[in-house]
Amino acid sequence: MPRAGAVTVVALRLGLLAIALAVWEVAGRMVNPLLGVPPSAVLPSLRDLVLLRSYPDLPANLLLTVREIATAYLLAVAAGLGCGFMLGMHRLVGQAWGPMLAALYAVPAVVWYPSLMLFFGLDAASKISFGFLLGFFPIALAVLAGIRQVNPQLVVVARAYGAGTVTVFRRVMLPAMLFTLVGGLRTGLALCVIGVVVGEILGSKAGMGALINHAYGLLRTGDYVALVLVTLVLIVGSDVLASLLERRARRWTE
Amino acid sequence: MSARPELIAIEGVTKRYLTSSGPVEALHDVSLSVEEGAFCTLIGPSGCGKSTLLGMLGGLVTPDQGRLVVEGKPVTGPDPRRVATVFQEAGLFPWRTTLQNVEFGLELQGVPAERRRRTASDLLGPLGLSGFAEKYPRELSGGMKQRVAIGRALALDAKILLMDEPFGALDEQTRVLMGEWLLDIWRRTRKTVIFVTHSLHEALFLSTRIAVMTARPGRIKAALDLTMDYPRSMESSEMVALRAKLWSEIREESLRAMR
Amino acid sequence: MKVRILQLVTVIAGLGLWELVARAGWVDPLFVPAPSAVAPALLRIGRGALAGLADTLGKTALAYVLSVLLGVSAGVVVGSVRLLRDVLSPYVVALYGIPKILVLPWIVLLLGYGTSPAVFYGVLHGFFPIMVLVMGAVRDVDRTLVTVARSYGATTWQLYWKVLLPAIVPSVLGGMRLGVVFCLLGVLVVEMFAGVRGMGHVLSSYANGFQAPELFAATALVSVASIAIVLALDHVNEKLSRWRG
Repeated sequence: MPRAGAVTVVALRLGLLAIALAVWEVAGRMVNPLLGVPPSAVLPSLRDLVLLRSYPDLPANLLLTVREIATAYLLAVAAGLGCGFMLGMHRLVGQAWGPMLAALYAVPAVVWYPSLMLFFGLDAASKISFGFLLGFFPIALAVLAGIRQVNPQLVVVARAYGAGTVTVFRRVMLPAMLFTLVGGLRTGLALCVIGVVVGEILGSKAGMGALINHAYGLLRTGDYVALVLVTLVLIVGSDVLASLLERRARRWTE
Repeated sequence: MSARPELIAIEGVTKRYLTSSGPVEALHDVSLSVEEGAFCTLIGPSGCGKSTLLGMLGGLVTPDQGRLVVEGKPVTGPDPRRVATVFQEAGLFPWRTTLQNVEFGLELQGVPAERRRRTASDLLGPLGLSGFAEKYPRELSGGMKQRVAIGRALALDAKILLMDEPFGALDEQTRVLMGEWLLDIWRRTRKTVIFVTHSLHEALFLSTRIAVMTARPGRIKAALDLTMDYPRSMESSEMVALRAKLWSEIREESLRAMR
Repeated sequence: MKVRILQLVTVIAGLGLWELVARAGWVDPLFVPAPSAVAPALLRIGRGALAGLADTLGKTALAYVLSVLLGVSAGVVVGSVRLLRDVLSPYVVALYGIPKILVLPWIVLLLGYGTSPAVFYGVLHGFFPIMVLVMGAVRDVDRTLVTVARSYGATTWQLYWKVLLPAIVPSVLGGMRLGVVFCLLGVLVVEMFAGVRGMGHVLSSYANGFQAPELFAATALVSVASIAIVLALDHVNEKLSRWRG
């Protein structure tokens, strides 16, 4: 069967989206409004939300969530890069602790959350620490993997030409491992975001997750959907930002 | 020499492909007939359409014009009971053992397990693979893999064997040995073989008939009949002359293909 | 050998340091109990925790089986039909990337408290990575194998059954290994958020009750169980991949 043209594919995709929205609309009108709302009911909720009528403290909560994410990510990057390099540069240490790190990765991170809640309570700290925990692993593992894949021959050649350690790092190792590293940084950000949001929804006093819980608790389903959409924009936006920086970083070392 | 019945007839076949730079004619009005029991080699420059022609005989490609007739019936699709194909890449299923790979065609046809196993096992000896029945493809050398692929085709016991540069990926020495081995198998099984190759040596060593194809769009430029006995001495004066003739036909086309 | 020694030394030194820090009173024992307090707690929580673990693992197993069945089927169907793949790919990737936590409150609203939201949410988590992995594997099947099978007269059904499915087994196994952690994660999250039974709820209630030694013990229990499951799957994976070398 010949390949469908690009236009047909796009048309089918949009068609599918339209059908999905239509089904949502019809189903939403039929069920109990406490359980489900059609898109047409979400729009006024969204409007009220954006105009700060339903939740006047939305900006403050949004800002808090963003700050939590940023803090968690910075910590994750610092620790991830540090640990990753330490494990990567010292072969014995890397061989010993690398598998232990990977084993911890096999544990669903959410099991640590109650311990964090015990320690930090419902404040931002527990969300930041959870986000940190989630984001740390992919970054550290990516650094480790990146270093491992650098062809040692290149280092030998560079050293033979008299390159010092810093130069070797900057001009040989970094470009070779950049792709893996940036991928890890991007995954790390995505996981930090998820960690913070999960932490907030599982129990918090403030932040987007808290607002979502609030709406859900009062069965204000329209507001709930609107809040979810706003949070989704935040999440997708952060990933788009990350991918743009990824591209910029790629060009910088080419 | 008694005329044997015509087993394969290719009649005025044309094939066009659509590429990003417009339609390209791969084959133009190709006609060829092959008698039963022949070893017919198709030789020609890259891109002359020999693989396409073979694909048509195997029922995997349909011509835009003309038709292909096998044993009196036009080709409409793959017909494993009549035509078996061996490709340049062995195409062995990596999750199957040697024996299971050889059985593959029979399995598709619903042959009961007991009989399949016996047919496949019996083939291992002539294939030179006794003792490798339970090995997986990754444990086999390139030459061995091709022998399994050929064994898989032979298991079907079809009258016609199509081979698309089966030894192309092998090193020189293995190629020569495989050629000798194939010759032995052919003479024992009396199959009709259509063999595609780039190698003049192989063409001259193996075939009863050589069809030279032109550069794209491919046509049959010339057909040589070889009547020498097997095994052939490549140094005889007859062979040397034939080789020179063959090369002159091919060289022209190869140059044209390069432009 | 040296590696093992270093690992062992690390673990012992880590525990030792932890014990010292807790005893010296540098951390509040209410929040960070000493290992010596956690060990007996492990026995205390014994039956209750194991019951919770069994419950969680039961739900995870159910969610897992469903995820694999749905994920592999969807992956094979969408991956092998070019039109479906072209049209649906961006949606699949998008749905995969959306944090499922956002719909959790709604799922609990619809399905209530108990087993069904946990299983449903677990499936939601496990399904997508498996489907995406299988889709990729189907796309990457060696074309030569398909051509060979067709030349031997394989019907469409035979192509799927004898060529496609065996070819994607390594990726399916890889996805299954990934999927189990995701399913477990989903089940635990629901249990923490709204569950009545299960390890997630056990952990939550210990946290809320400030029962630190019990909490640590229970956390260790779940972690060990999870690692054991993944290692077991890795082992099975190796066994079934003999032909790959």
